[in-house]
Amino acid sequence: MEKDGAQMAGSKQTVRVPIAQRVLEANDEIAAGTRAELSRRGIFSVDLIGAPGSGKTALLEATLRAVAGRRRPAVLVGDLATRRDGDRLARWCDRVVQISTGDGCHLEAGQVRDALAQLDLEGVDLLFIENVGNLICPVGFDLGQTAKVGLFSLTEGDDKAAKHPYLVTAADLLLLNKIDLAPYVRFDRAGFEADVRLLNPTVPIIDVSAATGAGLDAWLDWLDRGGPVGWRAG
Amino acid sequence: MAIVHEFSIAEALATQVLSHAPEGARVRDVEVRIGALRGVEPDALRMGWDSVTFGTPLAGAELTIDMRPWSIECSNCGRAWTSSVPFVSCECGNETPTPHGTDELDLVAISVDKDET
Repeated sequence: MEKDGAQMAGSKQTVRVPIAQRVLEANDEIAAGTRAELSRRGIFSVDLIGAPGSGKTALLEATLRAVAGRRRPAVLVGDLATRRDGDRLARWCDRVVQISTGDGCHLEAGQVRDALAQLDLEGVDLLFIENVGNLICPVGFDLGQTAKVGLFSLTEGDDKAAKHPYLVTAADLLLLNKIDLAPYVRFDRAGFEADVRLLNPTVPIIDVSAATGAGLDAWLDWLDRGGPVGWRAG
Repeated sequence: MAIVHEFSIAEALATQVLSHAPEGARVRDVEVRIGALRGVEPDALRMGWDSVTFGTPLAGAELTIDMRPWSIECSNCGRAWTSSVPFVSCECGNETPTPHGTDELDLVAISVDKDET
């Protein structure tokens, strides 16, 4: 620098370097690998996203019970701190892996890939990934699933779709759980659906009760059909 | 991994920025573009960024956040505008114009100090 007397006073210059890259590219690449592997094995997979207490585990318990002997499911269940959900589900399914996320508010593709590596996937045709209870954080992280399913429930209030537009927009199916409680809680079902429709005109909404089994047939039918597009293994 | 998704995004971003920054160059500014659907709180993202870069070569780098708004379209009168929130009423009286959001989450550019040559 000394030899260039004409230079500016400072010894540094700031240069802008254009990059244009997705921030979650690393996650998305892992997810793409998982998606290809699941597809190759003919496994239809669901990323189940819902708030704490919406009934994700209860829904999966009822679902696993209903498909027993007919489908061959496996389950990955993400939870912050305990093994309780995994223990509940292990009663109905012999292929369950609990992913303890510690302080993580959502699952990421690497955790799903690593959990799948612990499972014998031979013969499996259905994979449920129960995400960490959260309506916001999990939505943006691709796990390699076939379909994203959003679970709301009557007890959360009818404004939850409007307050969580990313989930409503990204979901392939919305389930509205705890409909057996309709006589007891104030929930504007038409208003809920109107909010959903503004954000996502086509997503199916199925009313269910994991507790009584109401509406489960429509959910099971959706699973058997391979989701919204009649998904087939590639 | 962290308790709010802004922290996870900040962590992914820091890793990505470090991979692009020339060896030994000081990063002054990081530009990101974020679609409305992501539900990212800019203040939370800045807090996460400051926290994950603390004590690292990226400490002190500014985060410039371009939040892409919702596009609102009124099916009643045809008016179109942008908004930071999805559910708004139209001037014409329609209480349910249609919101469209995007979900990009992109590292646009970084600004680095370079030694003069």
